[in-house]
Amino acid sequence: MHIPDGYLDLSVAGLFYILSIAVLGYSIYRLREQKLTSLFGIVAAAIFAAQMLNWPIPGGTSAHFVGGALAGILLGPYAGTLAMAVVLTIQCLVFADGGITALGANIWNMAIVDVFVGYYIYKALERFNRSIAAFVAGWLGITLAAIFAGIEIGISSSFGYGLGVTVPVMGVWHAILGIVEGVITAGVVSYIAAARPDVFEQKAAPGKLALGVIAAMIVVSPLFAYAAELVGYAEPLENAAEKIGLEENPIYEGLLPDYTLPGLDPYVGTLIAGIVGTVIVLGLGVILSRYARTT
Amino acid sequence: MHELLERTIKEASSYFQNFLIHEYSKKSALHAVDARIKLIATIIFIVLAVSTFNLEKVLLVLVFLIAISAVTGLSLRSIAERIWPFTLFSFVVVLPISLSNPTYAVTFTLRVATSLVAIQMLVMTTSFAEICLALRSFRVPEVFVSALWLGYRYAVLMFRELLSILLARESRRVSKGSHMDVWRKGGEAVGLFFLRSFEKAEKVQLAMEARGEALNHYHGKLKMLDFVYATIVAFTALWWVII
Repeated sequence: MHIPDGYLDLSVAGLFYILSIAVLGYSIYRLREQKLTSLFGIVAAAIFAAQMLNWPIPGGTSAHFVGGALAGILLGPYAGTLAMAVVLTIQCLVFADGGITALGANIWNMAIVDVFVGYYIYKALERFNRSIAAFVAGWLGITLAAIFAGIEIGISSSFGYGLGVTVPVMGVWHAILGIVEGVITAGVVSYIAAARPDVFEQKAAPGKLALGVIAAMIVVSPLFAYAAELVGYAEPLENAAEKIGLEENPIYEGLLPDYTLPGLDPYVGTLIAGIVGTVIVLGLGVILSRYARTT
Repeated sequence: MHELLERTIKEASSYFQNFLIHEYSKKSALHAVDARIKLIATIIFIVLAVSTFNLEKVLLVLVFLIAISAVTGLSLRSIAERIWPFTLFSFVVVLPISLSNPTYAVTFTLRVATSLVAIQMLVMTTSFAEICLALRSFRVPEVFVSALWLGYRYAVLMFRELLSILLARESRRVSKGSHMDVWRKGGEAVGLFFLRSFEKAEKVQLAMEARGEALNHYHGKLKMLDFVYATIVAFTALWWVII
């Protein structure tokens, strides 16, 4: 479910960076007085390890456990969201799993939607039956996270398919895989409830208003994404250049204006310009290598 | 449950190879470039690649990245090995569209491939410690950076712990069990594993507090080398704009 670079429009990716940073920032602010650095780090490592488990499913394939809802239930939504964000950032910067420009969206789906929705559902259903509550939280958390990923990709004009394709594909597939997530979340929660019930008691009720605001942000985020897309994607840097009039009055025409040489077939001109650029980069690279040897 | 163990170990071993990729990938000039510059450069390269559908511009960034990798001594073969699965996946995904719009399919796939090359150039030449120091110098909140660093350092250890729990359970198992059984019992094992992780977190926190949390800060000044790399990035951006 990790969205790579190139699937999202930059406007959509940017929007989800802003939303994610807002929620993560608030979570850090809320937890500022508790010394929890190691909890985020070690539990993140544990979630990371648990995600490696390759659960066999009927038919010979396998499914992975994501753990967002579980993190929300065990650590509370704020600490859970931070632990998941740590996991996703490590996956992005160490394993190239998920793109750098898409990190905001990935955090939004798996560290915020999954964690908070899982937490809300668990809290709402806990009084009826703890195991069923955990199952529904795990299952719905992951399914919604996938649907959000589908929405983000579907709204982006970079991706050739629209919402009508991306949302059902992501949603249905993960709703099936999510059953494993639900069963494991329920297994973990009932085991911990039996072995160490105090883990659940320690969670102080977090601010209702903030939780409401975050829930509202989750609900309206697809509309924000739609608006971001409307504002105009295409080619942001080129649009910007056009707006400030660079296109009409280039500051500098370059040695090879518009990548072509006057009097030449445009394709040949482009090719030559490309080769010239590459040669310059190669030259700079040689200088770089030489400096690296001397340092 | 043996199936769960077998599949997991198989996948994890290939996954964990990534941990020290910067160590065993051939030493290149890029290894010596400051992580802050490399991180910013990666973001710039990716933004240049994914903010256009102009095939020439995407190709320009891709060719430049390959040229930089080749001339600085990074193994192009390793890069190709690491990017092809996802590049191929992306191509297959947009394949149905290629019938009506072949240029789109090619451009889309190249955008993804270019971004992957850019990330790999960072991952293969930069240790995670350096990345964390770079993030710290960009003023990313300390709690987050420390947690990143802890999470990275403990990932292998926690995985071993999880595996030992699963192995212990597997060795005591007498019945074969259905898929549902594996999920349920596995869920319990993961429950125990999380409890252990909480205990470990507590111990680590106490140990950190007992010793005092010393932070590493970036004191390194940018070298000539870093400015040369910055020039390459700037030139790429310039060529991308005037194209």
